Amino acid sequence: MLELKDVHAQYGAIVALRGVSIHVAEGDLVGLLGANGAGKTTTLLTIAGVIKPSRGEITFRGVSLAGLPPEMIVRKGIAMVPEGREIFPTLTVQQNLRLGAFIRRNRVEYRHDLEEMGELFPILGERMHQSAGTLSGGEQQQLAIARALMSRPRLLILDEPSLGLAPRLVDQVFRLIARLRREGMTILLVEQNVIQTLRIVDRAYLISMGQVEMSGTPEELKRHVDMESVYLGATVAARGGGQGRGAP
Amino acid sequence: MSMSLRLLRDRIPGASTVLMLVVMLLLIAAVTEALGSTVLSRFAIRMFIDMTLVLGLQMFMGNSNILWFPHVGFMGIGAYASVIFSMSPLQKILSLPELYPFLADVNLPFLPALLAGALVAAAVAAVIGLPLMRLSDFPAVIAGFAMLIVIHAVLTHWEALTNGPQTLFGVERRTYVMNSAIWACVFVAVAYWFKESKSGLQLRASRDDLVSTSSIGVNIVAVRWFALVLSAFAAGIAGGLFAHFITSFSPKAFFLRETFIILAMLVIGGPATVTGAVLGTVIVTIVYQTLRWVENTLNIEQVFAQPIAGLTDITLAVMLIGMLILRPAGIFERREIGWQALRALWPWTGADAAPEPAADPQVVRKAAETKQRR
Repeated sequence: MLELKDVHAQYGAIVALRGVSIHVAEGDLVGLLGANGAGKTTTLLTIAGVIKPSRGEITFRGVSLAGLPPEMIVRKGIAMVPEGREIFPTLTVQQNLRLGAFIRRNRVEYRHDLEEMGELFPILGERMHQSAGTLSGGEQQQLAIARALMSRPRLLILDEPSLGLAPRLVDQVFRLIARLRREGMTILLVEQNVIQTLRIVDRAYLISMGQVEMSGTPEELKRHVDMESVYLGATVAARGGGQGRGAP
Repeated sequence: MSMSLRLLRDRIPGASTVLMLVVMLLLIAAVTEALGSTVLSRFAIRMFIDMTLVLGLQMFMGNSNILWFPHVGFMGIGAYASVIFSMSPLQKILSLPELYPFLADVNLPFLPALLAGALVAAAVAAVIGLPLMRLSDFPAVIAGFAMLIVIHAVLTHWEALTNGPQTLFGVERRTYVMNSAIWACVFVAVAYWFKESKSGLQLRASRDDLVSTSSIGVNIVAVRWFALVLSAFAAGIAGGLFAHFITSFSPKAFFLRETFIILAMLVIGGPATVTGAVLGTVIVTIVYQTLRWVENTLNIEQVFAQPIAGLTDITLAVMLIGMLILRPAGIFERREIGWQALRALWPWTGADAAPEPAADPQVVRKAAETKQRR
């Protein structure tokens, strides 16, 4: 469904991505793992059209996304939940959700989806007319995800949804993601929480220094990778194969 | 509350707000007509014209949070354009001797001329909005201010169309209490509809956060542009009403003083709401006209050895400063008048009269803190 081939990107002289290739198949939940500064968010921003790749190719459902502005990419069916839960605090929960749905014009569908979000996220259902700024961090995260779902995306991209949440809420968010996947949503999940992520994804990519260090099923990754070094941002995190270990 | 009212409220969420404001304005108009005082009707007409102008400003500035100076410039364009469309060819020979021949014979009835004048204002806004709407924050404000200077200079020097800096006279009086009140009511409904519409909501989202608004696929430039054109149309209508009320005017009428007054009206009332725009206009008009009357009376009666000047402007300015310190979001902040607000004031209603939390200043503060923490 989504295919990145040898994507390079840079901020001025600083090279952020040096040839990232990623494949997300329909119905898959794919994880993108890596330490701070590894290039995870840059990868997402290139998919979203905010950063133009200097080399390489991004295709979505067989069509190239090159040169499309962000709003057109959203219309193609890619919804992104940005890092830091960028909800609109002075608008109500319902207005936030309505903003997610504007790509579609069908009123009946909108009502239906709104009810569905109320069921999927009971807290939001109770607080439809409350301003979003009054929600707690975990509730705001749910709202950000719900808003993205209101556009009925073909692909949902989540950028560090567990960041800054209390442990109990982190569990809740991961359970929610797993549930969305079971219901057939294609998801690209960017995370630093390696343990939790590997529990729910079908496949994962490990990014380091702007390159894909390793990819595979959670079992394969667990077998080959020293998980602690992933957090520490080691240049070579793979175990064995004569490459040595980059982190103590 | 009766069942049918409840149903109406659920079906048309803003009906009660628009209804209450419209009833209030029509009541003011009816009482003014009944009293028959010339002075009072002049106050009322001026108030309804300013209200149309302020509602136009609310549509753009209130929803986008861009401090917007050129608004009265569009009022000026609407004023001159409507006069060119409405004035008889004979009067034009006297009032606008240098007018281009193809415009000299145009002679429309008042309503089409008014609408045509407003369309000219909207068209000018549509053109200059294309580059300007790409700007945000500080650059947008300064560019808007520069645009007011440009419009003023053009009105002052395009002698063929405006009679230059001299007064344009001989306009027929066409604006009265009732038609100016009806236009104010029309724009109450339009401003409310726009605020709650898809574009209005998108514009309000961009007020909260520009980056995430574009990340959900909103074309911010296009949404702002649409609001600007709508707002300039309202300003053009206000200009046409003004021209056919005052009957002789010069470009000076559409410059800094009027800009200050309408900004004070909107900011004091509360730019985020239609209620704020309407009641801010009413309050400032009452204060302003009362002070002017006091100032004039004192001067005519020669109470002081020398005539006093500036009392009105200074008081209004101090009011504005005080408001910004004490209640920066204006009297109405984010709350519209409506069933909800009335029920909150009404002590005998049941427990279901939950006040809208969005109006709570603490909430807004908490929201700001949440953003800062990230």
